[in-house]
Amino acid sequence: MRIRLHVKLWRRFFLQAVVRETHYRAHFLTTLLVGLVQLGLGIVPTLLLFGFTSEVHGWSRAEAIALVGVFQIVTGLIATFVAPNLNRMTTYLTEGELDGVLLRPVSSQFYLTLRWINVAELTNVASGIVVLVIGLVQAGISFGPGQVVQAFVLMCCGLVLLTSVWSALAFLAFWLQSVNPIGIVFLSLVEAGRYPLVFFPVAVRTFLTFAFPVAFATTFPVRALAGDLGWSPVALGIGLSVVALLLVRLVWRRGVLTYSSASS
Amino acid sequence: MSTVVRNLRIVRRMTAAEIAQQSVYRAAWIIFMLANICVPIISLLIWRTALASGAHLPVDERYVTTYFVLLGFVTMATSSWMAGFLAQDIRLGKLSSWMIRPASLLVGFVANNLSEKFLKLIALVPMIGIVWWIFRDSMTIPAGPGHWVLFAVSILLGAVLVFTIDILIASLAFWMDDVSALVQARVIISGVLSGAVVPLALMPSWSRGFVDHQPFRYTVSFPVEIVAGQLTGRELLTGFGFQLGYVVVLGILARAVWAAGIRAYSAVGA
Repeated sequence: MRIRLHVKLWRRFFLQAVVRETHYRAHFLTTLLVGLVQLGLGIVPTLLLFGFTSEVHGWSRAEAIALVGVFQIVTGLIATFVAPNLNRMTTYLTEGELDGVLLRPVSSQFYLTLRWINVAELTNVASGIVVLVIGLVQAGISFGPGQVVQAFVLMCCGLVLLTSVWSALAFLAFWLQSVNPIGIVFLSLVEAGRYPLVFFPVAVRTFLTFAFPVAFATTFPVRALAGDLGWSPVALGIGLSVVALLLVRLVWRRGVLTYSSASS
Repeated sequence: MSTVVRNLRIVRRMTAAEIAQQSVYRAAWIIFMLANICVPIISLLIWRTALASGAHLPVDERYVTTYFVLLGFVTMATSSWMAGFLAQDIRLGKLSSWMIRPASLLVGFVANNLSEKFLKLIALVPMIGIVWWIFRDSMTIPAGPGHWVLFAVSILLGAVLVFTIDILIASLAFWMDDVSALVQARVIISGVLSGAVVPLALMPSWSRGFVDHQPFRYTVSFPVEIVAGQLTGRELLTGFGFQLGYVVVLGILARAVWAAGIRAYSAVGA
């Protein structure tokens, strides 16, 4: 795969998306408003819960709020760069658009996963950063550069892992025809990331770490910033991400093999 | 009276037709319902953890468990998703072709609502059954069929209430170009005030008077409370009084707005 070409191409996609957004300013504003309301509502259960107790399994209210911030950042990034594409998967297959994609001189998996960008959703990333900072300041957490690197790498792993899971589910469209509802299941399951991993029973924790790895996206980065995490989870995250990417690649290859154009 | 009978017959026919049509997407309904119970289950686990680690909640483990297990079922059974579609039909002039038919466009939406709920029930009930079985030790089961009958009646009234609110919002499309922001606002507000996000029993005490008497409580929370909580006979009576009252008041209001809208309607292409 020619990396430089793809980077250049992606930059074009991004610039085009920015230009597009300037044409739809109302869309930008409503996305911002809806995002803020959803962020507020997302914190409501956490705030209510910590109204009845000061700490749950070692998590204070401020730390739980920082976690909601990270959750908002990660889901914002997914909504910006991944969701607009995977939500189109069914149309790509049923309307025969995939034919056109396969003919292009770029990696078709790259094109299908990252072509469309919803710039307005970046406002949710910004509000997430604000909430994260508020939570960290309230919790009085101080961290060194090493912990920031840990948290950042873990969050990136979380993003890659979640994107892989959703891609794999979306690529099931090759066999199932219609997969639009799968996006809804994915987004409902991601909601578990609003809460620290230890709030769940052990079996569910395992599921949320390895099968549906939302733990890497939210709980682990916050714990890394608080300094209770070594480098081994980071290594585990990178390892899992590589495995996940390879598996998704495999599913994609098998899928394309079974694909028999919708238009011809 | 004969119009009511005729309309009912039309609803029955159209519902049957819609069920036949929608059964094509069997797998989709199962996946939809899977998503529907995900969030209540996540909330259930969170609040049980809070209780287990010593949080002083105003309700016990039984209440929380029964509440969230039933929540997915009740939100589905009382839901309505037509506001956006109805507004679109008004805006694009699709309403015109219904005005010369022997039944209202709304009858079509009733049939759509009933048929989709029927198929969703088939997918959802086994899933709720599994969750119920997993948590069977801390589920509240009311003695005797009385509470279940009340539960069913309040779900029915709740469904009518949500549907009426949707008609009310969509009818504004007779005068406004775009009601999607209002629809979105309704979804967000009712999410919190109906008890679908957090049980209303856990709301802070300063909000009690308002939270207990606003209409959205009667769309989700009240039916669940009938099974999960120990509502006294008096509380049940006032609850049903309020629920019925909201149905009647909003029903009359929706009818008036819809009728005024029909008079103001000037179709695209007519």
